[in-house]
Amino acid sequence: MIFVAVGTQFPFDRLIENMDEWAANNNEDVIAQIAEGEYTPHNIKWQRFLDAKQYNQAIKDASVFVSHAGMGNIISARNQGTPIIVMNRQFELGEHRNNHQAEGVKWMAELSGVYAASTQAELYTLLCDTDALQVTSNNDSENLDELVNFLGRYITTGSTD
Amino acid sequence: MSKKTKILAISSPGGHWIQLNKICNQLENQFDVIYATPGEHYKSSTKEGGRKVYAITDASADSKLNLIPVTLQILSILIRERPHTIISTGAAPGVMAILLCKFLPIKTIWIDSIANVKVLSRSGKMVKNHANLVVTQWQDLSDNKHIFHRGSVL
Repeated sequence: MIFVAVGTQFPFDRLIENMDEWAANNNEDVIAQIAEGEYTPHNIKWQRFLDAKQYNQAIKDASVFVSHAGMGNIISARNQGTPIIVMNRQFELGEHRNNHQAEGVKWMAELSGVYAASTQAELYTLLCDTDALQVTSNNDSENLDELVNFLGRYITTGSTD
Repeated sequence: MSKKTKILAISSPGGHWIQLNKICNQLENQFDVIYATPGEHYKSSTKEGGRKVYAITDASADSKLNLIPVTLQILSILIRERPHTIISTGAAPGVMAILLCKFLPIKTIWIDSIANVKVLSRSGKMVKNHANLVVTQWQDLSDNKHIFHRGSVL
């Protein structure tokens, strides 16, 4: 099963349309959270919003998670060990209030198990061989420990050393 | 029994909230962390899996009118809970909380979202001269004097 989600703040019809068209030509279950999108898919199961529990379960069950380039979904995918394809919203197409997602995908794609697609062609290329999409290492804990230790020290002592 | 230092963690929903949780799950080992975020599924104050979560009105720079109720709600939480420190990953609710705390004896920490790679987020720019501690998750955005980089959520 492929799970598709576009975040809750803005619609992202381009991604939903791309995945709907893909599902029409491929024998694979696709489930989508489309938020307030105007486009309603014909070939995939969709809901406007899933609750937090359904949402995390869908990410866990999915072989691949296809998402807008939102940090939250990348972190959730990594927590569940599910590979994620992110498509960035484009400011030029009115899909976000600035272009930070376009800048963001460049480094996101350097994380293990995170794949970036800017266009339909790139998205379909990645979906051709979903077995190749793998989370190989998931070792974020060092960076997080460093941040948490720094914050803890600052809160208790006021020191930034 | 010594009382743990109380921290209020506040953010908007989605990616900011997920980053805040990742950090605060660990801070809970050391501190008494309470939360505030917009969410219909939270009542005004509920214990969620042993956590205290205050629901606040959803506000963003696109819904400026909602900033008024949010600010009042945050003020009421601050008065009731009297946290030692507040910590936010963004966006609008965190900005309002940090500005409010300027007038209160409460330490403030801003952690800019990891999504902001090349420049500090818009809300980060708004608070960078007001928060007691500003943290970026990207080395290039740090000056090591006012904006610190020490690790990240990923």
